[in-house]
Amino acid sequence: MGPFSLQKWQASLSNVPMLIEGLGVTLIVSVTGLALAMIIGVVFGVLSSSHWKVARFFARIYVEFFQNTPLLIQVFLLYNALPLIAPKAVIPVTVIGIMGVGFYHGAYIAEVVRAGIQSIHHGQIEAALSQGFSYIQAMRHVIIPQALRVVLPPLTNQAVVLIKNTSILAVIAGGDLMYRGDSYAGNAGNYGPTYIVVGLLYFALCFPLAVLTKKLEDRAEVHGNA
Amino acid sequence: MKKKMLVLVIAFALVLSVTALVGCGTEEAATTGSTGVSSDIQKIKDAGVLKVGVKVDVPNFGYKDPKTNKIDGFEIDLARQLAKRILGDESKIQLEPVTAKTRGPLLDNGQLDVVIATFTIKPDRLLQWNFSDGYYTDEVGILVKKNSGIAGLKDLNGKKVGVAQGATTKDAIEAEIATQKLSIKPNYLEFASYPEINAALESGRIDAFSVDKSILTGYLSSDKVILAEGFAPQEYGIATKKGNDGITEECNTMLKEMTANGEMATLLKKWNLN
Repeated sequence: MGPFSLQKWQASLSNVPMLIEGLGVTLIVSVTGLALAMIIGVVFGVLSSSHWKVARFFARIYVEFFQNTPLLIQVFLLYNALPLIAPKAVIPVTVIGIMGVGFYHGAYIAEVVRAGIQSIHHGQIEAALSQGFSYIQAMRHVIIPQALRVVLPPLTNQAVVLIKNTSILAVIAGGDLMYRGDSYAGNAGNYGPTYIVVGLLYFALCFPLAVLTKKLEDRAEVHGNA
Repeated sequence: MKKKMLVLVIAFALVLSVTALVGCGTEEAATTGSTGVSSDIQKIKDAGVLKVGVKVDVPNFGYKDPKTNKIDGFEIDLARQLAKRILGDESKIQLEPVTAKTRGPLLDNGQLDVVIATFTIKPDRLLQWNFSDGYYTDEVGILVKKNSGIAGLKDLNGKKVGVAQGATTKDAIEAEIATQKLSIKPNYLEFASYPEINAALESGRIDAFSVDKSILTGYLSSDKVILAEGFAPQEYGIATKKGNDGITEECNTMLKEMTANGEMATLLKKWNLN
């Protein structure tokens, strides 16, 4: 029996229901993680581009820390180191997955948001402020709606990377798609077809988003706002 | 856009069919050439080095000493013996670290000639790889923290048990539960390597670390204990790619001779394994 023999394909395909279960976990972590990343991203992105020095300083620290350390280390710290420091702090694995990708991609999305805000001509904010808008109001009604078109393509791109990064859960027995695939591949010695099927499932999640990114990019260019 | 999709779908179909084809009938049985040496042995002779997959985290079997960076152990000595028999020089080995998960694929893709890495002989594995006769019998054990209150298998109900991916442990525990007619249900969490399972045990992520006892000895510390209970005898064999019958035969001859002339007993004593 070679690694890609027909029997192995059959065995792999009969195992798809278990992979679908893992896909469920991957989806939950992806969607919730993305929501968390968006919240973090918008908050720190706005802080990064504010003229308030202290806020900018803290936002920079956050962004630089999460962008310049591997996600794997962040997840390991949450999984293994935290309980050693605080025995009560045993966070469930799924939550660690959500926190892991949420914090990590939050930093990237913050940069996307900052770039979007800074792409809007400074005269816009000045005009808004001179009209009696507060800073927050100016952001909400003038800057962010314009910036949205600029940031949407890189945002969908972040979503794609985030989905792929949820596979980090495989390392901490997180029960996601990659873990299920790995588990079956390792225990049945059937890694060939299994990894192809797992790869295709990730592809099915990510490819539509990638197409959407492309579409949004085209649209942003048509309006000459790039 | 539609055209692009079509091209993509076709490309995928091609990739899949190619892999399926590659999978069929690529097993070359070792043929004996005119020299009287089988082709798989000849390949090793031509390369001038025996590539062996070994464990580097199992004391007394295959262990890399962090102080000296040297890999040593009972299984390494077996590898040296094998190199001596095939190449006439026991130093002509190239040791590659493997884990329970990586050893099979590395044999399949030809990166390794043999694997001597606490590899349990099992019926379904015999369908995928060649195994020599057994050279050591071990049993599955359980490592727990001393203060965990776990004294045996029966205490594992609802507890989290860390096992290695690609290892036989989970099946062995389940079989033993059935044999003892226990009505317990442990939760199994799988990790890619033993150090990860150990880290999870130390941080309290899991309640027990279960694998062959020989492997567990490497993770003993003052606050942990290996339970006396052991089950599911595991026989370790030397594995090689399916169809490498010449190599398997050579391994079997070697093991028989070493048992007969007392070398095996000497080695076991040397590594405190008797």
